[in-house]
Amino acid sequence: MTQAIPVPLSWMPERVDASPDERTLDQFLKSVERRALRMAELATGNREEALDLVQDAMFGFVRNYAAKPSAEWAPLFYRVLDSRLNDWHRRRQVRSRWLAVFTRDPEDDEVDEIAQAPDTNDPGPLLRLAGNEAARDLDAALTALPLRQRQAFLLRVWEGLDVAATAQAMRCSEGSVKTHLSRALTTLRRALEDHA
Amino acid sequence: MSDFRQTPWVDRAKQLLDESAAGLDAATVSRLNRARQAALGSRRRGPLLRFMPAALASACALLLAVGTWHRYHVEPGDEAIQALSAAVGKGANGTDIDLVAGDDSLDLYQDLEFYAWLDAQEQGSDS
Repeated sequence: MTQAIPVPLSWMPERVDASPDERTLDQFLKSVERRALRMAELATGNREEALDLVQDAMFGFVRNYAAKPSAEWAPLFYRVLDSRLNDWHRRRQVRSRWLAVFTRDPEDDEVDEIAQAPDTNDPGPLLRLAGNEAARDLDAALTALPLRQRQAFLLRVWEGLDVAATAQAMRCSEGSVKTHLSRALTTLRRALEDHA
Repeated sequence: MSDFRQTPWVDRAKQLLDESAAGLDAATVSRLNRARQAALGSRRRGPLLRFMPAALASACALLLAVGTWHRYHVEPGDEAIQALSAAVGKGANGTDIDLVAGDDSLDLYQDLEFYAWLDAQEQGSDS
């Protein structure tokens, strides 16, 4: 009777079964994927591109950080996502510069004062937030924010990361996080509350 | 900044964001699920497939380096000449290869048709 020779773990290139850490990883990704998609959607304004970015972020996170302690996963995942969003914005800015060379229209520089004027029939942000268009208004206000301010708001306020974790995710100092968040809150408050 | 949690509009904004994330359509949720499974699957495949492109590139570079080194460091010595001589059936001393390598021999082969015609003429005149 032949006896099975135990194979050292270091020789096993892969584990096909769903190991407990893989289940934990699956649960973690499941817990963040929807919020990640909404963040990417607010950054890109396009669901298809947002889905691609989130999938890319998942691959990058699993490839580089899955072996890290699960307590560190959230800021690390958002760090990967933030990096993908920054790359996307850089590519879009380069594309926009090239397009602007060929499609520049002098009328684009003129500010439409009528469009910029506040709506006197607007019931105010809290009432609007209670209405059917509240989500759309919030989306518009968030979309109008600069990327770093929006990320600071979403990671800190919505995702609930502390300042240090947000700084890790955004690859900046804690002071920068506070500055970005402060500006975001000011702008959003003005957009959503001060019209009353 | 630290008191933003008690701000009503911030709470309302968080609630709306939560609702928007929870209310994703089934197709989007399905795509997220597939993306997640694909990412986890890439982890199962392990480093072998992950580093396959780099390994292939390294193998090609190594092959190119060995080929280049072999070309410039292995001279067409006796083994090659003898093997070629044996193949043409002219013995193993490399004489025919020397003839082929010489300038006169090349002229001969370039005018081979002429010499063949000349030989035929001479044979015809002999007979």
